[in-house]
Amino acid sequence: MSHLQDGVPVAAGLDELPDDPFPGGEADDTLRLARAVLERYPVADGRCGLPGVLARSGRCDLELGGSAVDTDVPRLRAGRVGAQFWALDLPEGTGGDRALAATLELLDLARAVIAAHPEGLRPARSAGEVIDARNCGRTAVVLGPAGARALADSLPALRALHTLGLRVLTLSGTAWAGGKTGLTRFGEEVVREMNRLGVLADVSGAPESTAHRVLALSRTPVLCTRSAASALRPHPDNVSDDLLGALGAAGGLCMVPFAAEQCGTAVEDVADHLGHVRDVAGPESVGLSGAYDTGAAHPAELDNPSRHPHLVAELLRRGWSDTELSLLTWGNVQRALRSADFTARAAQDRGEPSRARLADLDGG
Amino acid sequence: MTQTTSPSLDAARELLREWPVVDGHNDLPWALRERVRYDLDKLDVAHRQDADLHTDLPRLAEGGVGAQFWSVYVPSDIPEPVAATLEQIDCVRQMLARYPERLAPALTAADMEAARAEGRVASLMGAEGGHSIANSLATLRALHTLGVRYMTLTHNENVDWADSATDAPRVGGLSAFGREVVREMNRVGMLVDLSHVAASTMRDALDTTTAPVIFSHSSARAVCDHPRNIPDDVLERLPANGGVAMVTFVPKFVLQAAVDWTAAADENLRAHGLHHLDTTDEAMRVHRAFEERSPRPVATVSTVADHLDHMREVAGIDHLGIGGDYDGTAFTPAGLDDVSGYPRLVAELLDRGWSSADLAKLTWRNAVRVLDAAESVSRAESARRGASNATIEVLDA
Repeated sequence: MSHLQDGVPVAAGLDELPDDPFPGGEADDTLRLARAVLERYPVADGRCGLPGVLARSGRCDLELGGSAVDTDVPRLRAGRVGAQFWALDLPEGTGGDRALAATLELLDLARAVIAAHPEGLRPARSAGEVIDARNCGRTAVVLGPAGARALADSLPALRALHTLGLRVLTLSGTAWAGGKTGLTRFGEEVVREMNRLGVLADVSGAPESTAHRVLALSRTPVLCTRSAASALRPHPDNVSDDLLGALGAAGGLCMVPFAAEQCGTAVEDVADHLGHVRDVAGPESVGLSGAYDTGAAHPAELDNPSRHPHLVAELLRRGWSDTELSLLTWGNVQRALRSADFTARAAQDRGEPSRARLADLDGG
Repeated sequence: MTQTTSPSLDAARELLREWPVVDGHNDLPWALRERVRYDLDKLDVAHRQDADLHTDLPRLAEGGVGAQFWSVYVPSDIPEPVAATLEQIDCVRQMLARYPERLAPALTAADMEAARAEGRVASLMGAEGGHSIANSLATLRALHTLGVRYMTLTHNENVDWADSATDAPRVGGLSAFGREVVREMNRVGMLVDLSHVAASTMRDALDTTTAPVIFSHSSARAVCDHPRNIPDDVLERLPANGGVAMVTFVPKFVLQAAVDWTAAADENLRAHGLHHLDTTDEAMRVHRAFEERSPRPVATVSTVADHLDHMREVAGIDHLGIGGDYDGTAFTPAGLDDVSGYPRLVAELLDRGWSSADLAKLTWRNAVRVLDAAESVSRAESARRGASNATIEVLDA
């Protein structure tokens, strides 16, 4: 379990401190136990759509919360969310240079929102910074995934977005990733450059041909930031057992969204999907994706990020071991982030940035 | 004309060893894009590249250059201005990574001084035209985060919020959003560059800015009447503003005979179906044929010194600098043929009676002071207010 070595030992008894915003009325020992588990290994949440919501509906004070948002700082604390990926989702139909500028705007907004809530949030660009934030009692915010359209077909744009904090890119929705060919030669070059920089690849929503090609190419774990099991419930963003097996074999990570459309309307449905992914891909390849503020409808008991302990309680009742739970909530994501950092450091010593261009590699 | 030693040239070189040149504008990144698609293996500026470029590392050293604002220019009609600008920034970063013993990344006045102390060329970046931010203040901030330290408000064409010197007047200077762009540049610490903009835009920007401005590559309109040059009433405002006008060498802006000749040459290029700023081999061939029929008037070191003498009289010695526009112009003055030429300009000014202290201000100290002042303003402004999220749709409705 060397990949858990940065797991933070938390002083015993912390969960007895009176910081629970919903005290009383919950005599459930399992829920208390779930909170204790999460004190040691908090939740690393694979997808939160807050930047897009705040861009559309205006910013709000995340200490007080807002009616337009599922996510706020007290809920993140109550849900024991130690790290969260903030998706930079563009409005439908945004393309070309506008997609890049719009992504710069979302990055700018996300950085400003994080900076405005220093007591609750802290930006994190590496596994180490996630641990630092966690040690300071803040929720680490990792920027991404952004959609592949954000690159405007340009590797220099990818490098700039990385400099500005982007750490996850979804490989779908462009001519070079997610189209008929799965991944074109330029798409392959994008994946290599992502490895070189330390930007994780997300293949949720991509055709499985793309996902398999990315898995074969990437030197660092590949994520599905919002995918449940299509064996249990068909959905365009859910993944087949075949892909889950490949993801597991490659050390990747399937992060199951708390989305009614993809999993079902009850917390038990989410638990079913998590169990299935664990069984098919392996306990080291399953993760959580709240999918809050993404427009998705949530199972009733998981309607905001404070509810993570309810899911963990359900998994405890189903016999998930401490080790499995620690991997699910925190350890697997830490491994992916650390692997991306490590791969990038090694690659940057070996080679120079790619000068490849779409027109050169893919014709046109 | 391009003699290599003389007492004043030796004195100039000596002076530049202590107070090297800060040059406000050099288009090497665009030249590298156009010529070799950024492949520095094909055009390695560690070695002299006289045949292809005005700029390389040996000639920068010979010219006594201590700091360079590399232009991250993209044409204003390019379909993807933001991506193309990021590509230019990326090019400068690759240059910095490739030549660390000669080029030092610089974001601040302190970085510039550190580079001078190490004998490296402090490398800063300037964006040439508001089209690079696509009407987005967040994109402006992203460029700043990526290292860009000035933005010319327009290039040769108007932007939605500012008029260019070489386009038909539209908003009459700066629009409300244009003024907000200037305020946000003040807040983040990006210098406002007024080269290329209409005189009305210069005046509006001076009315708005709380930090010193620069003209990264412009000369004096009173000496040569070209819209790219600075009118006297604007030069007169520099002492109050604290800014700096960096004299440019481009013959078609500094020499009246060259202004007229260029108009005719541009017409000739257009008649051949080429853009008048085209610097491809074909365009240069057409240009050379024209030149055989109609000899090109030659600007000299003295032409540029005439501008500086005038600018000094109007703006004062504390408000002058140098912006050669190398690799952004097809022709250069005799004696200032490439980036190795600056000592000849300094020698000319010594011969005209400029003191060493004056020349130190011209070459180095004024430009560094201006960046330092912009940093102070940025600290003060960002303590007072947060990032602006104004939009052109609202402000210029």
